[in-house]
This record gives sequence, structure tokens and C-alpha cells, in this order.
Amino acid sequence: MGIIEYARTSIKENWSLFRRSRMGLLGLAILAFFAFLALLAPIPRLIDDMYHPMVGVDPEISYSTPPSLRHPMGTDFMGRDLLSQFLSGAQIAFAVGITAAVISVLIGTAIGLTSGYYGGKVDALLMRLADIVLVLPGLPFIIVIAAALGKMSIWIIVLLIALLGWPGVARVIRAQTLSLRERPFVEAARVAGAGDRRILLHHLAPNVLPLTFLYAALGVSGAILTEASLSFIGLGDPSVVSWGMMLQWAFTTGHTFRAPYWILPPGLAISLLSLSFYLVGRALEEIINPRLREP
Amino acid sequence: MALITTENLRKVFPVRKRLFGGQEYVTAVDDVSFKIHRREVFGLVGESGSGKTTCGRLLLRLLEPTSGSIYYDGVDITKLTGRELLSFRRRVQMIFQNPYESLNPRFTVYDSVAEPLIIQRIADGEERRRRVIEALERVRLTPAESLLRRYPHELSGGQRQRVAIARALVTEPDFVVADEPVSMLDVSIRAGILNLMLDLRDDLDLTMLFITHDLAVARYMCDRIAVMHKGRIVELGSKEDVIENPQHPYTRALLSSVPRLHSLSKT
Repeated sequence: MGIIEYARTSIKENWSLFRRSRMGLLGLAILAFFAFLALLAPIPRLIDDMYHPMVGVDPEISYSTPPSLRHPMGTDFMGRDLLSQFLSGAQIAFAVGITAAVISVLIGTAIGLTSGYYGGKVDALLMRLADIVLVLPGLPFIIVIAAALGKMSIWIIVLLIALLGWPGVARVIRAQTLSLRERPFVEAARVAGAGDRRILLHHLAPNVLPLTFLYAALGVSGAILTEASLSFIGLGDPSVVSWGMMLQWAFTTGHTFRAPYWILPPGLAISLLSLSFYLVGRALEEIINPRLREP
Repeated sequence: MALITTENLRKVFPVRKRLFGGQEYVTAVDDVSFKIHRREVFGLVGESGSGKTTCGRLLLRLLEPTSGSIYYDGVDITKLTGRELLSFRRRVQMIFQNPYESLNPRFTVYDSVAEPLIIQRIADGEERRRRVIEALERVRLTPAESLLRRYPHELSGGQRQRVAIARALVTEPDFVVADEPVSMLDVSIRAGILNLMLDLRDDLDLTMLFITHDLAVARYMCDRIAVMHKGRIVELGSKEDVIENPQHPYTRALLSSVPRLHSLSKT
């Protein structure tokens, strides 16, 4: 009961703060637009089999064509509909971005809380582990793994992005926990007889939650960009139509400079969607950290 | 009969490590022995850094003493673990200095006051709610029902401290450590909180350790006063003896630093 009630009042309060940030609203608008597109993704293939983003081919077209009535955004090199590919890409971007961000933020928060609360050897061990992961060059590391595994499914990519993304979160949550655990209400909980588990879950975790949300929002941008990069260089999941994959098909079939109708939409969409999550994250950060707010 | 007896209590904190050579230490509580009788308000007075707060934390097992022993009702609590420690926690409570900090900002009044009951598995459901309301009414927060779903930031300082006291008393403890309970509050509401605590002591047969740097407050609240200086008790006696007839030079210095009304009119 308490948590829901708290969430309701804090959402109401924070929304009024969020509304003041023009950049945040812009981000939210872009985000909402792409979310709407992602919801439309399953529709084209219901209209006609040739609109299936992966296996649907227009029987009369076997080369890339510019936008037409039949194909509002044109077709790719073998006559597949670019609009339905684009919509499918929006769906994949959200799925990959949000899942990877949520997993890495969950891992980061759990490790940050544990590290900050227990301190000592546990802290030293976990933070050295975080340092090791932090200095791994992300994209090259995933490329090496991809080369070793051969074809990767999209969920393995998500998992790899998440496993590389938690140390930043863990460090911030740890710092926050270090200061929170010295606050008198933690001692008050101990006087009441609370054990470590109760203090961690009931007293510390809810108080780092705003930071967790912030890092989740920022993490989505990174995950979307990483997945797009991987797909573009040909290491993505070949059974999934993502924006990065669309760019790769255009590139490998030599359409980069000949078919702007093919290249521009996915390219712009990748930039805009990761920008929108970043803007939303920044606006959240201003709410959490009032010192960033403009007077 | 004494509820609490401490014998040669010592607490040493390690401070920073030097690059070469050894560890540096600070002795916060040094060879402290005293007894607190049942239903007594025992004052611990001293300047900040004198060790009075550390002393209070040791009595509640929030800190482990470096050496010495603490007997609570005849049992040495420095050796308690697990279930015994939990039932000890039910019998002792603490009221903190800063009511803005001692309540979890994400807990409603109900959550805060009910938490000890939940941890101690004392009451659940309707019974838990009844006890929480009873505790709030005991500290004269009425109507209690309307406060249950409020958050600390929606309450005044005095209300928060009353909630903190309700939380401390909801498990019906025998012994309460009050660590400067009014020093962060507005002067106008201090008397109300202090009187409330004295009334509660009478109603609930509480024994209290009252920590303060303010001799005027100590005189108002306490039956006996111990003066601490640099981790040691330099003077201990009834409040009349300590305040009317101080023996130790440090006590005299403390007393002379209490501002009086006529010195205000001069400035």
C-alpha cells in the first residue's frame, strides 16, 4: 500500500517539475512517437504477406525502388517493403534498449547497494570487478565474443550489453548508499531490530530508486546505439529486422549513396530515439539533483 | 534496584592509518561506570565530542564496547546474539536528535510507527493498526487516523519528533535513550516535548537515559546527572548536587556558559 501511494504522489509532484523542462518534453514527444510506431509494427504483415519485414517480397519488384503508393517508403534490393522494416526496427529498438537498460540497472543497483552497505572486503571485491568491466572496451569486446560464438541471437546481444553496462550504475548507487547508510533513520531501523536485509530492501533501496530510474533512461540510449552498431557491421541477429540491419543491407548492396529513401529513415530514427531517451534522462536528472535546475 | 549497570566501559575508535607506523586511535568512552535505577531519568551532560552519544549507543548495542560490560536487568548484553538480541531490542528504544533525519522520508507515519511491531512480530492486521493509533494518541497526535498516511515532509518538527517518540514507545519498552531530543526543535515547542516525555515516563514506568549539552534542559528533566568530559565521567550526583554545588572545574565551566536573561539585556 505504502509504495503505491508514494509512487502516486511522487509522480504527480515530479511531473509538474518535468513539464518545466522543454528538452525533456521534446524527448518525451519523440519517444512517444516512436513508441506509437513500434505498436504499429505487427499491422503491415496482416494486410498482405508481401509486407512481412523479413520474408515478404513484392512479387513484381526485385530491386530497390523509391517510395510509391504500394510501398510508401520504397523497397529494398530484393523488393521487401521498407516501411514495415522501419516499423519492425522501432519495435526492436525499444525491446533491446529497454531490456538491456533494465537488466544492467538491476545488476548495478544490487551490486551498488551491497557494496556500499557492507563495505570492507565485499566492497573492495565488487568495486574491483566493476573497474575491470568498466575498462573493457565495450564494442570491440562484443565483436570478439560475436566472432567466437558465430551467429548471435538478439537476446545474447541484449545480455552482453547489460553485462557491460552495470559498473557505472553500481558506482553511483554505491556512493549514494554510503551516504544513506549513515543517515539516522538507518540507525533508527536498527534500534527497532531491523536486520541487514530489511535495511537494504525497505530503507536503502527505495531511497536510491530515483537514481535507478535516471540510469535506466540513460542506459537505453547506449543500448540502442550499441545494437545498431553491431547490426551495421554485420554482427547482429540475422533473423531480426532492426534499424542497424536495414543500414547494413543498404551498405552491403551498394545503395548507400544511391537510395536516400532507404538510408535516411533508419539512420535518423537511431539518432532521434537515443537522443530522446537521453533528453528524458537529463530532465529526470534535473528533478533528482536540484542544483542542475536553472533558477 | 538498578536496571542498567555499566562497568569500566571503554570504546576506542580507529581513525586514519598513517602511511608508515601504526593505526591511530581515539578513545571516545574511557572507563565509564554508572548505574541507572528503574523509573529514573539519568542525564548525561557534556560538550560535543565528550562521548555522551557514544555512551548511549553502547547501551543499546548499536556499537560494540572495546572493553567493559553492560548489565541490563542483570544480563550482560554485550554478549547477546540473534533471538536474544532481538528481544533485547524490544525492551530498549531510542529517540534521536534530529526528527528530520530519524524518520525514513519514504515511510508514511503508519509505516514508521508500525515498523518495530512488524520486525518484532508483535501484532498484525487490525491489532497492529490499533496499536499504532494508540501510540500516536499517547504522544497527543490527534486525530491519529488523519496522520497515518502522511509523509515526514508534510509534518512540522514537533509533530515529527512526536511520531519518532510514538515509534520508540509502540513496543512498550522499559528503557529509552533520548539523544538530545529537543536540540533541533524550535524553542517554543521544546517544553511541550519535554513535558510529554516526563508524562510518558510516569504513565509507562520508563527508565530514561537523557543525553544533552544543555544544563537547563538537564535540570528540568533529570533525577541524577553525570557530567562527561573527554570520555570520562567527571562528576555524578543528584541534579541538585551537580547544578547547585558543582565540584569539578569542568562542570563549573559548563554552568557558567549557560546564558542568563540579564546578560541578554546588556547586548
